[in-house]
Amino acid sequence: MLLTVAYLSKRFGDQPVLRDITCGLAAGQVLAVLGRSGGGKTTLLKILAGLETPDTGTVLLDGQDLLPVPPNERQMVYLYQEPLLFPHLTVFENVAFGLRIRQVGKNEIVQRVSKMLEELDLGAHAQKAPHQLSGGQRQRVSFGRALIIRPRLLLLDEPFGNLDAQTRADMQQLFLRVTRQHQITSLFVTHDSREALTVGTHFAYLDRGLLTSFPSVREFIQDPRTSIAAELTFWESIQRTAFQPDYET
Amino acid sequence: MRSKLLVGTLAVLFGLPFLLLALLAVGEGWRFPAALPPAFSLAAVRSLLGSGNDLLAGLGRSLLLAGTVAVVATAGGFGLARAIARSAWARHWEVASYLPYALPPVLLAVLIQPFIIRLHLSGSVGGVLLGLLLVALPFATLLLRSFWTQQATEYEQLARTLGCTPGQALRQVLLPLAWPLLRTALFQTFLLAWFDFGLTNVLSVGKVRTLTVQVFAYVGEANAPLAAVASLLLLLPPALLLRLNRAALLRNTP
Repeated sequence: MLLTVAYLSKRFGDQPVLRDITCGLAAGQVLAVLGRSGGGKTTLLKILAGLETPDTGTVLLDGQDLLPVPPNERQMVYLYQEPLLFPHLTVFENVAFGLRIRQVGKNEIVQRVSKMLEELDLGAHAQKAPHQLSGGQRQRVSFGRALIIRPRLLLLDEPFGNLDAQTRADMQQLFLRVTRQHQITSLFVTHDSREALTVGTHFAYLDRGLLTSFPSVREFIQDPRTSIAAELTFWESIQRTAFQPDYET
Repeated sequence: MRSKLLVGTLAVLFGLPFLLLALLAVGEGWRFPAALPPAFSLAAVRSLLGSGNDLLAGLGRSLLLAGTVAVVATAGGFGLARAIARSAWARHWEVASYLPYALPPVLLAVLIQPFIIRLHLSGSVGGVLLGLLLVALPFATLLLRSFWTQQATEYEQLARTLGCTPGQALRQVLLPLAWPLLRTALFQTFLLAWFDFGLTNVLSVGKVRTLTVQVFAYVGEANAPLAAVASLLLLLPPALLLRLNRAALLRNTP
């Protein structure tokens, strides 16, 4: 296992936010965590990123205890719903940010950033300012900025939540392509069951601080809490009704 | 056409006091009802460089005080605003930041004077500096409070996960993001200290003669040419700062 989380708990005041969270993630896997707002998804990601401390529990990455490690040394990038591009930097410099912090050589930065921009179909926008880009392009820059430092784990907090349906679908496909290509391990949090099924290789459900991991996609779909089975039934009934011979009359 | 007329009228209204000051500084024997001075002389301007004239020293003192107040208040305000934003009692601290403005600066100076005396800072640049900071620091804190939103925190956290130490996140991300507000805070706190008379006059007990204090002294002595020269000197740094900040002040979007 690349990531092992065991008995992780967190309270804010009297309110338990995470309760004995236990899960694991092997290299190259995408764990899609489905859950409603306020279920503790963001807190879980922040603890993994080192931005929050848990009250109890352990987090191991490749067998190393991660809790004493500061966020900048974890090599885990946390991606928010907003792309949060640095407005004072160009697209090129935004993507190069993590490399410059790591004092990578100039030539290598130019080579790696150019390659990443081409891969994300952003080559023509390298010298543009973030405000000159569309929502989808900004999210792609945000991805590039995260991927270029070759993170050991990518933490995504509803990253496509603010995009329109078509751009969101495109970004999901792009996510699948680049994570497979770069063998990126990720924990993808979403409240959209369709998105979870599209991007995930493994599935979990988080509600009121309790995480349920599913051994297969079948169990994930069949669990009534995910509402996927109910949604399927709804669409099937719609389909049946719509295709009845006398429906249009 | 109407907007041009308006701009022209505003320019004349803004420029006239400067013209009047310049005429007062170089005019000799200018009496009512003469529209212009009968003779011109650079004597008052030349006396600036003469030995024993305190104007240039006053200019230096004012620059030192206002510059230090601007830098310390802005830097302190940035840190304090962040602490307030993250405090559980953010609203209470914010209200407390308004307290120095419940009193006019002169009254504030009278109230803090006993403490300044006990600190052995009465009549010193340090004492005046402390008094001015008591007004400028809350001002900068309130101004910079608007920067510390949830989004600023998210930017900082993102920078940390991208590999920044807390110091790098501050230098590479937060300071550039906050720069437009920081520049405004620097400018405003500089002006606040630069033009202060009441608080400086009380705390300096006549020993720290800033340029503003000197202008009031010359006006009191009815020394119009020197008062005019001192006033022109007084207006020079703010005019320069306005010129430097022109782009930022005219900008429509942040």
